[in-house]
Amino acid sequence: MDRNLTWMILGGALNVGLVLLVAPLGQGVLRKVTARVQSRQGPPLQQPYFDLLKLLGKEDIESGETPAMQRFSVYLSLGTILTVACLVPMGFGAPMNSAGDVILLIYLLTLCGVCTLLAGLAAGSTYSLVGISREMMSMIALEPLFAIALIVGALHAGSFRLDAVLNGSVYSAGGIPWSGLLMLGVMLLSFQAFVQRVPFDISEAETELMEGPLMEYSGPKLALFKYAQMAKLVIYSGLFVALFVPWGSDLVFPLGWLLFWAKVGVLVLLVTLVAATHARYRIDQAIRFFAALFAVALVALMLASYGF
Amino acid sequence: MIAREMFEEFKARFGPLIQRADVPSDRRLFVFVDRSVMKFVCQHIFRELDARYVTSIGSDDRPYSGTFLVSHNFAFDKDHVLCSVLTQLPENDLTIDSITSMVPAASWAEREMRDLLGIEPLGHRYLKRLVLPDGWPEGNHPLRKDVRWDAVPESYDPEREFKFDEPPEGCMVVPFGPFHPTLDEPAHFRLYVEGEMVRGCEYRGFMVHRGIEKLAESVMSYNDIPMLAERICGICGCVHNVAYVQAVEDAAVLKVPPRAEYIRTIMLELERLHSHLLWTGLACHIVGFDTLFMQSFRIREPIMWIAEKISGNRKTYALCLIGGVRRDITHELKLELRAVLDTLEAEWRDVVSAVGNDRNIQRRTRDVGVADKVAVKSSGLVGPVARAAGVDIDCRRDHPYAAYDRVEFDVVTAQTADVWGRVVVRMNEVFQSIRIIRQCLDKMEDGPLQLEIKDELPIGRMGLSSVEAPRGESHHFVITGENNRPRRWRVRAPTYQNLQGVPAMIKDQQIADMTISLGSIDPCFSCTDRLETIDLRSGKTRVWSQQELLQLTKMKA
Repeated sequence: MDRNLTWMILGGALNVGLVLLVAPLGQGVLRKVTARVQSRQGPPLQQPYFDLLKLLGKEDIESGETPAMQRFSVYLSLGTILTVACLVPMGFGAPMNSAGDVILLIYLLTLCGVCTLLAGLAAGSTYSLVGISREMMSMIALEPLFAIALIVGALHAGSFRLDAVLNGSVYSAGGIPWSGLLMLGVMLLSFQAFVQRVPFDISEAETELMEGPLMEYSGPKLALFKYAQMAKLVIYSGLFVALFVPWGSDLVFPLGWLLFWAKVGVLVLLVTLVAATHARYRIDQAIRFFAALFAVALVALMLASYGF
Repeated sequence: MIAREMFEEFKARFGPLIQRADVPSDRRLFVFVDRSVMKFVCQHIFRELDARYVTSIGSDDRPYSGTFLVSHNFAFDKDHVLCSVLTQLPENDLTIDSITSMVPAASWAEREMRDLLGIEPLGHRYLKRLVLPDGWPEGNHPLRKDVRWDAVPESYDPEREFKFDEPPEGCMVVPFGPFHPTLDEPAHFRLYVEGEMVRGCEYRGFMVHRGIEKLAESVMSYNDIPMLAERICGICGCVHNVAYVQAVEDAAVLKVPPRAEYIRTIMLELERLHSHLLWTGLACHIVGFDTLFMQSFRIREPIMWIAEKISGNRKTYALCLIGGVRRDITHELKLELRAVLDTLEAEWRDVVSAVGNDRNIQRRTRDVGVADKVAVKSSGLVGPVARAAGVDIDCRRDHPYAAYDRVEFDVVTAQTADVWGRVVVRMNEVFQSIRIIRQCLDKMEDGPLQLEIKDELPIGRMGLSSVEAPRGESHHFVITGENNRPRRWRVRAPTYQNLQGVPAMIKDQQIADMTISLGSIDPCFSCTDRLETIDLRSGKTRVWSQQELLQLTKMKA
C-alpha cells in the first residue's frame, strides 16, 4: 500500500478517535463550569460518557413519521461531523490533506446543518417542524459566515489546500490584515450559534419548542445525535483555533499538540461562560444579528480580495 | 361611598326591583335584586360606578329557600367596598341574562355555573363546556345539593375526547400542553399559528379537578376546610387558607386577636417572597437564562427554611383556624427571620441589578404579552398584570385584612403593560414585602393567638374575603350553614381571571413569546382547576395503568 495513504488513514483514525474520546469530556467541563457559575455542585466530569452509554443501551423506539429516514439522518449527522474531523488539523497537520480542500470542508459543514433539517423533517411532529423552520432560517444566515472566513483565509494563502488555509491563514504572512481581524470578530460573535448553545440554541429551545427537531428521538438515536453535538463543539473549536489562533502550533511534537488542545479547552470554557450568562434570543432577533455579521463578513471578503 | 350609601343609590335608581340588602359593615354590601334587573344593576355598577368585576357565583339554595342563588361580585377599590349582587331563581326556570356582553370577564364564571349547576346564561356567546369533561352526561350537575359528592353518573364516558373548534384558514395548529416543560401543570392551549405568528388559540383546562368546593360543602367541617383550602395551590396555599377563614370570620363577625393578625400578615408576605423569587427564576429559565434561575432559587431557599422553622413545613403552613392562628413566632424566630430578611435584601439587590442591566432579557420581554388598561378592565385582570399596566389596585391596601391597615407599604406599579412591566413590579414588590414583615415584627404585640369561640356560628350568613396573593386577588365567598360547615364556599383564584386575558396577550405575537407571555401572569392551574367532583372511577383506572407500566419496566430490567 502507498505509504502516504497509510498515513492518511492512520491520521484520520487518530483524529476521529481523539474527537470521540474528548468530546464528552468537553461537555463534562461545560456542565461542571455551568453548574459552578450557577452555585450548583454539578455532575462529575465523566457524566456525559455515562449518559451516552445509558442512552445507547435503551430501547430503540420508532416514534416519528419515517423511521428509516430518522435513522439515516442520525448516522449521517455523526458521520459528517467525524469526516470533518479528518480534515481538521488537531495538533498535527490535517491528516486527509491531499484528499480534499477547503471547498469540501465548507460543503461538509453545511451538511451538518442539513442533517438536523432531515432529522426534524423525518420526525414530522409539529414542534420538530417549527424547529427546523428556525434551523433553516438561521442556517441561511449563518453558514456563509464560516465559508467566508475560510475563503478569506484561502485568498490570503493563495491556495485552497487545507494545510495552507487551516494554519492561521486569515492573517497573511506579511502582517495582520484588516479582513482577518474583521473575520475574527465576526466568528467570535457567532461562535455560540455554530455550536448551538445559548443564546442561539433557538431551534431546540427546550422551554419553547421542547428540543425542536430532536423531539421524537430517544435511546440510541438520541445518543448519536448528542454525540454529534458534543463532537461539533470540539471540532468547531479546533477549526477556530486552526484558522484564527495558529500561534505555537509549529512547536515540537508534545508542546504544539498540548498547546492546541489547551487552546480548544479555553474556547470551550469561553462558550460555557457566554452560555451561562445570556438569555436566549428570539429567532427574528438572532437573524437580524446574523445579518449584521454577514454584512461585516462581506466587507472583509472584499478587503481580502484586494489584499488588505 | 360606604356600603349603605351605595344601597340607597341603587334603590333610588332601580326602585322596588331592588328587593333587600344586607349591610354587615361599611365595607360589605349584599344586595338582592329581581332577576329581570340583575343585568342592568351590574351594568350600572361596572360602567357608571366603574367597579371591578370579581367573579360570579351560583349556588343551590333549594334545601333552605327553595331557589337557586346567582351572585355577581364586584369590588369598589377606591371606596374599599366589596359588593355582591344576588338574585334568586326558581327551580323550574334556571335562566339568567348573561352579563358577558359588557363584562367579558364573566365568561368563565357563567360557563362554570352552567356546567356545575345547570344555570343557563342567556345571551352568552360561547357556551362550550369549561369545567366538566365532555363525556359527562347532559343534565347532571355535580354541584347541586342532591348529587352526592362522590357520585359518578352511569353514563359517564371517560374516553370521550374534547371537541376542538375549527382553526382559522391557513393556520397550522401547534398544541401547547397538556404537558409542556414550561407549563409544569396540565393545561392545553391549541395555538393557531401562521409561520411563527400566533393568530389565535383555544384553551382547555380544568383537567385536574379535585372537587374541593363540593367536598367542603358536603363532608368537611369549618376547621377542616382551612387545611383543604391551602392544598388548592402548591405555591400560594397560605393565601387560600387565610382567605377562607377570613370569609367565615367576615360572615360570622368574629374579631381575630391582633397577634394572630400580625402572624397571618408575616406568613402571607413570606409566601409572596418565595413566590416572587420562584417566578423570577422561572421567567429567566423560560427566556433561557438558567444562571439567574438557579441563583434565584438559591436565594429563595432560606425563606423556605425559616417558614419550616415557624410552621413545620416549607410550604402548606397549616396556619389558620377560624378565629386565629395555630403557630406563634417566638422571640428567637423573630431574630432569625430578621437575619434572613437582611441577607435576602442584599442578595436581591444584586439580582435586580443583574436583570435590569441585561439587554437580552429586556429584548425578550419589552412589548411582549401586552395587556393594557382596557384589557385589565374588561377581562378583570388582577395582581402584577394589572399593576404593570398602571392600574393601581392591591387588596392589601384597598380591602385591608389581617394587619395590613397597620403597616406602611407602597403599591408598585409600572406603565409599560408588557412582560417587562410585570418583571419590574414583582421584583420591587419583594422589597415592599420585606418592609412589611419588618414592621410586623416591630409592632407585634403579645396576646392570644386564637379567639375563643363558644357559640355555634350563625347560619345562612354571607362573607366575602379578598386576599392579595402573589399572582393577584384571591377571592373567597362563603355562606355559613348547618352541621358545622358552610353551605357554599366559592374560590376565585387570580389565575382564573388572568388566564382569560392570555389569548389577547399572545395574539399576533411569535410562538417564541408564548411561553414568557403565559409565564408572565404566573399561571397557577391548580388554583384555577380547583373545582369538580373527584372522579373515583377514572382515578382508579389511572392508578392501575401506572402500576402496569411500573411492572412492565420491572420485567424489562
